[in-house]
Amino acid sequence: MNNRPTPVSPVEIDDVAVRARNLGKSFGDTVAVRDLSFDARAGEVMGLLGPNGAGKTTTIKMLTTLLPIDTGSATIVGLDVAERPDAVRRVIGLAGQSAAIDEKLTARENLEMFGRLYKIPRGERQRRIDHLVDRFDLGEFVDRIAETYSGGQRRRLDVVASLIAAPPVLFLDEPTTGLDPRSRTELWDEIGDLAAQGTAVVLTTQYLEEADRLSDRIVIIDEGVMKASGTSAELKEDLERDVLEVHVTTRTDLARAVEVAGRVASGVSSDPADAGLQIPLKDGSDQSLAVLRELDAEGISISDFQLRRPTLDDVFLTLTATGGDR
Amino acid sequence: MTTIQRAPARESGPAERIQWAFQDTVTMTWRDLIRTRRQPEMLTFAVIMGVFFLLLFYYVFGGAIAAGSGVDYIQYLVPGIFVITTLTGAQQTGTGLATDLSAGVTDRFRSLPMSQFAVLGGRTIADAARNIISVVLVAIVGYILGFRFASIAGAIGAIVLSVGIGYAFSWMNAAIAAKVKSAEMVGMLSMFWLFPLMLASTVFTPAEQMPGWLQSFARWQPISVVADAARDLSNGLPAGDTVLWSVIWIVGLLLIFIPLSVAVYRRG
Repeated sequence: MNNRPTPVSPVEIDDVAVRARNLGKSFGDTVAVRDLSFDARAGEVMGLLGPNGAGKTTTIKMLTTLLPIDTGSATIVGLDVAERPDAVRRVIGLAGQSAAIDEKLTARENLEMFGRLYKIPRGERQRRIDHLVDRFDLGEFVDRIAETYSGGQRRRLDVVASLIAAPPVLFLDEPTTGLDPRSRTELWDEIGDLAAQGTAVVLTTQYLEEADRLSDRIVIIDEGVMKASGTSAELKEDLERDVLEVHVTTRTDLARAVEVAGRVASGVSSDPADAGLQIPLKDGSDQSLAVLRELDAEGISISDFQLRRPTLDDVFLTLTATGGDR
Repeated sequence: MTTIQRAPARESGPAERIQWAFQDTVTMTWRDLIRTRRQPEMLTFAVIMGVFFLLLFYYVFGGAIAAGSGVDYIQYLVPGIFVITTLTGAQQTGTGLATDLSAGVTDRFRSLPMSQFAVLGGRTIADAARNIISVVLVAIVGYILGFRFASIAGAIGAIVLSVGIGYAFSWMNAAIAAKVKSAEMVGMLSMFWLFPLMLASTVFTPAEQMPGWLQSFARWQPISVVADAARDLSNGLPAGDTVLWSVIWIVGLLLIFIPLSVAVYRRG
């Protein structure tokens, strides 16, 4: 036998389930992913957030052995993806963008097929299928042919199919795209539960709300490059600015209001359509009082005002803005 | 903090790979047979194609061809139609597989710890099973028109060889499908091999009735060779040579197209 000189080292017993280092992938002249590094830990949801074409799916495909890695490296629970694709395939579950199920089979037949392909022994396979059907509430459609399913049912089966071998690492590529709000919320709960039970979940999404709500940590990518990473709170912190929104009562006061607010803050913008001002502030509450006092002193009447913490939308739009305004 | 349980940190050895190939091919055959059962139109199409050519040639050209050669034309035609039928079934391997490969489920197969051979293996076996049913149905229609097998053994031999050459062409189509990944393209490309092989053959008329330059192709191409063997077996004629050449064609095509299509499929 052509064994390695040293015995295969035991998998590192730490909590890093997915370790991507300087990942890169090009298709011809197009760079899809460049120098992307991140970790995903057991019991956590790691959100890859980015607009369409950002390189999210390419990243997932590299990590799940579907695409060769051009540059850099990746390990899944300590196993090198490029060197040990078979071993990696045993420990991952994947639910892709298009529901990866057989349309001509029922849900139960699909699960039976994937269970057999994972070489799960018959008895355990049956128990596992029954458990999943029960837990994910597939009962009402489990024996119907999949092509008759609604989008939500299909997606649910897709996610369940990726769980048949109880993988420690789960990749979900835009799992809720095209789902109605109720199915989306249900799926969110289920994904959260899986992470709570110790599964490492890597999830891609273009929905900020989804990343904000589900992910313990978020990596924002755009045009194949990482733009930021951290917890949702850290990312908002990074933006370091609150926004004071003020609406003046009389539209003709707007220009003067911009000038007055400009004495305190820089980067004031206004929207004549609703007589509103957007005033970015470094030090939220103190500065906002100063602005309001100045406006009052100048006799500009205000209809309402609001101090707004940055949302993930602000972070996202700032980081992924590729237009000419920056 | 959660820790991850130790994973089986090994690649599969050759013995395990072979075991996977068998086990997974059984699973994929099971899957493709269920799919076949739920798409009866595929079976219907292959049978209708066979019956269509049978009736067309029997009633339109049958008299003229029979008059020239002095044989009972139904006995001549039906075994060749078996081969046409399995060839049509083989073409469906290509279109079906192309559709399958562009569906999301194939991405999941690629991400599973399974034999990738089995994705194609299961499909071709299920299609061969469908072809057996198609050929038997065509034989029944032939019986109604007066066709008779000379012996049970001959009948079995004729059906086995017809299904065998269909199986070989299934693998050729699997290679095409894995390459072009579009059912439309597979369908269009099949015009270039299906019709020449079908019409420039000894299925409908003996090679002697063709122009000289075409005769050697028509005599030796696989469809003719197998049609001749199936005809000899069905009619109880000495069939040693034609059967031997049929087996050589079938095995040869399989040796080329199984590794080729698996390689093309793996490359993605």
